[in-house]
Amino acid sequence: MAVTKKRRAKQKRSQKKVGSALQALTTAAMVLPGMLSPVQASDEEVTIQYGHYEETKRDIYGVHIPNDPVTGFPAPDKIKIPNIMKPITVDSLHAQAKTRFLDRFKFTANYTEDTWSGASPIATAPVGFFANHLIEEADQVTGASPYLASLSQMNFDEQLNPLMIDGFDPFSGFTYANGEQLVHTLAMASPETRKQGDFNLTYEWNNATASVGGGISIENDYESRFVNWGGTLDLNSKLTTLSFNQSYTNSTTSALLDHDAIPYLNRFAYEDQIVGTSPKVRVSVHSTLFGEREDWSTGFGITQVLGKNSLIEISANYTRSKGFMENPYKAVYVFYVNPANVVAPGVLGGGVIAYLEERPDERNQWTINTRFVQHIEPLNAALNINYRFFDDDWGINAHTLEADWVQPLGRGWTITPTIRYYSQDRADFYHPYLVTKKRKTNNKAEDYANIPEQYFSSDHRLSGYGALSGGLVLSKQFSKGVSLEMGFEYYTHEGALKLGGDGEDDYADFRSYSANAALKVDLSTVGRSIAYSDHVHNHMDHGAPAPAGVMSAHMLGNAGEWMIGYKYMYGRQAGDMLQGNNKVSDSVILASDSNCGGSQCYVATDDMTMHMHMFNIMYAPTDWLNLMLMPTFVDMSMNMRSLDGAPSPGAASGAATNNYAEVVHANHEHMTGGLGDTNISALFKLYDNNTHHLHLGLGVSAPTGDVKIELRRTHKVDLGMIHYGMQLGSGTWDFTPSLTYTGQVNKWSWGAQASGIKRLERQNEVGYRLGDKFQSTAWGSYKLLNWLSMSVRGVYTSQGSLHGEYNKDHRPIGPMDSPESYGGEYYDLGFGINAMVPSGDLAGNSLSVEWLQPMEDDVNGFQLERDGALSVNWGYAF
Amino acid sequence: MIAKLQILIFAVLLSGCSVAPWERGNLAKPQMALDSHPTQTEFRGHAYGSREAATGSSVGAGGGCGCY
Repeated sequence: MAVTKKRRAKQKRSQKKVGSALQALTTAAMVLPGMLSPVQASDEEVTIQYGHYEETKRDIYGVHIPNDPVTGFPAPDKIKIPNIMKPITVDSLHAQAKTRFLDRFKFTANYTEDTWSGASPIATAPVGFFANHLIEEADQVTGASPYLASLSQMNFDEQLNPLMIDGFDPFSGFTYANGEQLVHTLAMASPETRKQGDFNLTYEWNNATASVGGGISIENDYESRFVNWGGTLDLNSKLTTLSFNQSYTNSTTSALLDHDAIPYLNRFAYEDQIVGTSPKVRVSVHSTLFGEREDWSTGFGITQVLGKNSLIEISANYTRSKGFMENPYKAVYVFYVNPANVVAPGVLGGGVIAYLEERPDERNQWTINTRFVQHIEPLNAALNINYRFFDDDWGINAHTLEADWVQPLGRGWTITPTIRYYSQDRADFYHPYLVTKKRKTNNKAEDYANIPEQYFSSDHRLSGYGALSGGLVLSKQFSKGVSLEMGFEYYTHEGALKLGGDGEDDYADFRSYSANAALKVDLSTVGRSIAYSDHVHNHMDHGAPAPAGVMSAHMLGNAGEWMIGYKYMYGRQAGDMLQGNNKVSDSVILASDSNCGGSQCYVATDDMTMHMHMFNIMYAPTDWLNLMLMPTFVDMSMNMRSLDGAPSPGAASGAATNNYAEVVHANHEHMTGGLGDTNISALFKLYDNNTHHLHLGLGVSAPTGDVKIELRRTHKVDLGMIHYGMQLGSGTWDFTPSLTYTGQVNKWSWGAQASGIKRLERQNEVGYRLGDKFQSTAWGSYKLLNWLSMSVRGVYTSQGSLHGEYNKDHRPIGPMDSPESYGGEYYDLGFGINAMVPSGDLAGNSLSVEWLQPMEDDVNGFQLERDGALSVNWGYAF
Repeated sequence: MIAKLQILIFAVLLSGCSVAPWERGNLAKPQMALDSHPTQTEFRGHAYGSREAATGSSVGAGGGCGCY
């Protein structure tokens, strides 16, 4: 008996041994192909990420000179100015799709979109210069607006140290003190959007890979195209991997110079690079700075497994850049001190010229990167340490040290605290400002020749400073290959944090934070789960998918099913100006101020474009109920033109009353973008007999889109809120019901839907609400092939005009600023193609495209005719 | 001296360790990836790249001007 027990125990032990060895082998086998590439990354994956970045407001200082209430004499006082400008914020969207084909090819496509706005420094000066002109109300400073030319002269002592006014003597006038405190001149930017598309194609051998990639990044003032190629080679039973990569980038700057700053900005060095264009709007102050730049980059790397618990990577990179590397929006003040201009004993007066910055046309950069990853056995965690040394011939040495602790917590959760330290020396040509003892002659060439440096920049990115940041990444792997990742980081930029001291003064310090969330769906895992369930066939039994432009048209039929979807919608208006359904002439619009929100009309919309990205997660808790979450990301752009016969907006000097600034600002494209409203809804199945299907949708739209977007302050005038139609959301909670009927027999499918939007609040936080909306549509489609169908659809839409008006500063200049000129009745005809993959690796995918052709517009007020709308819909059920 | 050191390092890298396939279980774990959160790296890298002078290896992958 005892013997048997012993034998059994032995048997069990050996079984256990075999089991664990098998397990190890299996894990190892999983590792073998491309062991050193990110192991968890799937070959078939879709990622959608939204991120927000925001900086803190910069500190700005000024000298306030109110009159003393008792003596009546000026009483100067250095103060911190309330900074009224919104800081830099960036909203970004990133979508990525990866797929594998023909066994050994891997393809990755990326789309990125950033919209940014806010105030950033354009130049730096001593506080005595009044670079930020104080805005005062009843002797109280309420803010400041940027000045490139000061109202008073700047004073220095004989050693060229800056001075500031610090007192008043009734007999000798102002008295002076050390004024070394530096201050940024901040300028506001209206929202702008950048879009980037890029791809990578990799071919894999057993022990090597070769890849090629490229892409394009487009923004209004900068366009960049790039290609890259590289390869990896595994040696030594895949314990060593060598890598090589090269890239070439070609970038063009076409920066529209701030028309506010142009009169005060010396562009002498760039005269042949600046072109004034004739804009559509009559007031012509366009001035565009052009520049070209090229970058070549080469890198080598080696990755080595050091043992069963650690690995190391060492890589080196050399980048050579040539051409226009200036930041076209940064200026440097040059103070020309005239020794003969003695303001007071020991006080010299100086004139100033602000120059566009000038950097060398060449830059050679070297980077060495080392990374060490160690498995921490008792905690099953990994420590990832990265050190990078950077050196260039602009005089910048930089060190980056980063450490991540990746801690799996079980049940699919992973938490990763991160810490990063960065320090850089200043560039040789970084100067907050320049000063010379040559007097200002007002002869452009002579003044330019007297600048004490060949190259100069006061861009704080080239100053000496350190940055410390800490963050957290939290990820959760759900079943069925869906995972969610959230990241947060807080970042501190400080001159005092520079390695070895001697960093920039604290006036340039700022902090920022960033937060993002990413949803990843591993299609290969999902595909496997599909293969084992029979509900897919159910899907395929349904007729063709509804046309791409129809919302909430599809219901999941089985409890436990999921669907993710992405819908892209593009809409453009670019036809004639309409009143009702008739073309209208400019003179009719000009006839009454009431056509333009109660002010004189100057402009009309010339074209308007909207892009909307909608993400859709749908879940069926039971077979009669679907829950749906739909966040959106939207960006819009609008160009305006002068109305024929519109009066001139008057001279700049008069400012606010004559609409000069508003009209001039209509010169260039207005853009907005960011997170739109988020819809949460439930679909209820009312009837289904396999031929006829009826479902009810009840949803709410949460006001997550911004409705407080303003145009930037310009020409000493706040331009107030941007046009109503350019805000990103409704600003109100909205009720979104729908009733959908679909039917199919053999190759024919048809459907109809009635849907509406009812605003649940009287007005949003800025004083208005959008009109309610009703839409009805009906379609028919025919299956040409097993996987392909075509559809035709009719749509009727009715939307009320805008109710209320902005309760904040708003300066109407055209019909788009009038609440009456929103909404109307619209008739459209839609043509669509739908493809659905019934079997194979990509089973469960569907792709639909639809073009909506406007048939008739009957608009409220005066509106631009519609050109059409495109919808693209991708869905994946699992 | 430096040349000798280089040879030594290289020798250590290439031959100093041998990890049999069945000993690579830990190395295969997701947390041991060189970059365990590429999505985060890219997002943060874009912010660093538009605020810091040492752009380095991000060249060749776009990113735009960051001129603000």
